[in-house]
Amino acid sequence: MTRFLAAASALTLSIASAAVAADAPSKADVLNVYANIAEAKYDDSLIAAKSLQAAVNALIVEPSDATLNAARAAWVAARVPYQQTEVYRFGNAIVDDWEGKVNAWPLDEGLIDYVDASYGGPTDENELAALNVIANPSFELSGQAIDASKITPKLLSDTLHEADGIEANVATGYHAIEFLLWGQDLNGHGTGAGNRPWTDYAQGDDCTGGHCDRRAQYLSAATELLVSDLEWMAAQWAEGGDARAALNADETAGVAAILTGMGSLSYGEQAGERMRLGLMLNDPEEEHDCFSDNTHNSHYYDGLGVQNVYLGSYTRIDGTPVSGASLSDLVIASDPSLDAEMKVKLANTMQALGRLKSTAEAGFAYDQMLERGNKGGEQLIMGGVNGLVDQTKTIERIVITLKLDQINFEGSDSLDNPDAVFQ
Amino acid sequence: MRPLVLAVALTLPFASHAQDRGPILTDTVTAHILPGYSRLSEATGLLTETAQRDCDPGSPDLRAAYNTAFDNWISVSHLRFGPSEVDDRAFALAFWPDTKGFTPKALSSMIAAKDTAVESPAEFSETSIAGRGFFALELMLFEPAFATQGDMPYRCALVRAITADIDRNASAIGSDWDTYAKALTQPGETSPYRSGDEALQELYKALMTGLEFTGDTRLGRPLGTFDRPRPKRAEARRSARSLRHVELSLIALRDLAARLSADHPDIADDLDRAFGKAIDRAQSLDDPSLSGVADPQARFRIEALQQSINDIRAIASTELGPTLGISAGFNSLDGD
Repeated sequence: MTRFLAAASALTLSIASAAVAADAPSKADVLNVYANIAEAKYDDSLIAAKSLQAAVNALIVEPSDATLNAARAAWVAARVPYQQTEVYRFGNAIVDDWEGKVNAWPLDEGLIDYVDASYGGPTDENELAALNVIANPSFELSGQAIDASKITPKLLSDTLHEADGIEANVATGYHAIEFLLWGQDLNGHGTGAGNRPWTDYAQGDDCTGGHCDRRAQYLSAATELLVSDLEWMAAQWAEGGDARAALNADETAGVAAILTGMGSLSYGEQAGERMRLGLMLNDPEEEHDCFSDNTHNSHYYDGLGVQNVYLGSYTRIDGTPVSGASLSDLVIASDPSLDAEMKVKLANTMQALGRLKSTAEAGFAYDQMLERGNKGGEQLIMGGVNGLVDQTKTIERIVITLKLDQINFEGSDSLDNPDAVFQ
Repeated sequence: MRPLVLAVALTLPFASHAQDRGPILTDTVTAHILPGYSRLSEATGLLTETAQRDCDPGSPDLRAAYNTAFDNWISVSHLRFGPSEVDDRAFALAFWPDTKGFTPKALSSMIAAKDTAVESPAEFSETSIAGRGFFALELMLFEPAFATQGDMPYRCALVRAITADIDRNASAIGSDWDTYAKALTQPGETSPYRSGDEALQELYKALMTGLEFTGDTRLGRPLGTFDRPRPKRAEARRSARSLRHVELSLIALRDLAARLSADHPDIADDLDRAFGKAIDRAQSLDDPSLSGVADPQARFRIEALQQSINDIRAIASTELGPTLGISAGFNSLDGD
């Protein structure tokens, strides 16, 4: 009986959606707005990275408490647009293949610079975990002698990054820069973030931590790379760029890519790897921005990115709106109540992530929330996790309602088989 | 493209009309899931009792009880939904892969601090998942470095706390299934599953995620690349269980696949043959800890095993999923 009804209503629905087709946006329009928002977000990320670069240059030329703090503030600001781009990652192979250069995490920071004795040395997993390239102008890598007498963008990207095939060897991107600006957070579950002194960049006798010239070289090279990597990605989303071309190659697959990005980021990546795992491990450094204690913002803006892609509406860092035909409009045309469900769930997630953010900003840092037995912290983090898991369920329903489920056979195997969505 | 989509839209409802999800759901729950968890909690009960009697890491009884309980966990470890996800139970039973060495770190710090959480099951359940479950127990029983850390009475208390915690979690999953079985077999307003399709999708997803984990993680992690194999990354290599986990998981997934494809004999045959080939390949390897990944000759056979798992995945995703009208959805392995 139910089956007959399902069959009948499916038929009615296809007729009904044909009738309201005039109200539904075309897939091409939806994809165009999705790409416009990507272009705006990567362009904003680039603009903010250039401000960071200017602040880093000021720190290197004139090291002081003030210039270090200004560079840190520029880093925090640069994360706002970038985190909102993460929703593009898993659905678009071109982004996924590239993103490790700019946002790889977690990292074995001992690869880069000095660390506390409690960090330990090389591990079973990573022989280079304590390499400290800033202190070592030459070293051996997989049996080869490496000349690191000058720390250049090329050395970081071609030799050090993911050295020995190990992902924790993160030599480039936001988190490497974060470590160079804040240093290790040695406060455990106590208050305070990393506390690198500005004198780590002082030249001559004032230098602390050793090799201040090489540390400055490293910071400068890593920031230069960040800018050029973002420049490249922004260009891919501009009119005529490869990311747009791939997206538009098959409209139905393109819409599936939007949903793959939303679901994979929400569930496996953010709710699982980045939030729930840290909570279960009770490890104060198992947080996305562990040096700066900016994790609450990273989570918040990741969530916001998912929401604004669904709604097809993004506000640029200078206040300019970018909006138009949305996935939401497309869902309304086939099932308005499903669209309402999605909107409510996205709003619930943002409320939970907002609670996390406001509490952190009031002084209860994310690493304190991770402490064993801390019920309040657990509730805050699990509120976000539950919201993200719950919204994934509705994203799956949308995939089915829009009949995209047989397009992407690999389901959400966005990493194993990123091309699947384009087949 | 458009005519194809339209065709799918028209045929799908009729395809699902032909298949009532009820029998498959009921069969999978009563013949696959419930017996699996019942065997697990029986074995973890025995493990806890054995550790109470004898906590010596070298004790043959204790090691045998560990092996049996771990076997039974691996045979249900693909069922990552519902009761296993409440209170982090499955994570606390088996935290692996441990890419940053959290397990040795958690155990060392417990031992160094003589953490009194070992005296209370409730307190112990608040500690890091990395210091709990089968992989923590493996280190305590098989890793020489942990045979000498701290003093014997504390190590013994820790082993007992870990086994009791394993039993607590395994039993809690089992008893929650008494009610969750209804949610899965009778979807609707009061169930997390709105329809039979959503319930079936959960099981299909368990099959696909289980295959992905065994192929890409259990085998893929130690395989690394030809130039840089990673034998130390093999799962439970200290107790020489790495290959056994591949075999046990394939046997469990073969059973699940057979139940999901029960209405489609051709697909069931294809899947069963593919599973048979993979299991034969696993059983013909004589390499319990998969250390052969570093030897070109042996490596070739491990790669062939991995390929045969990929073949099963291809059949499931191109034949079974579309025929059932079900997609894999999102899983926890998405992302990094």
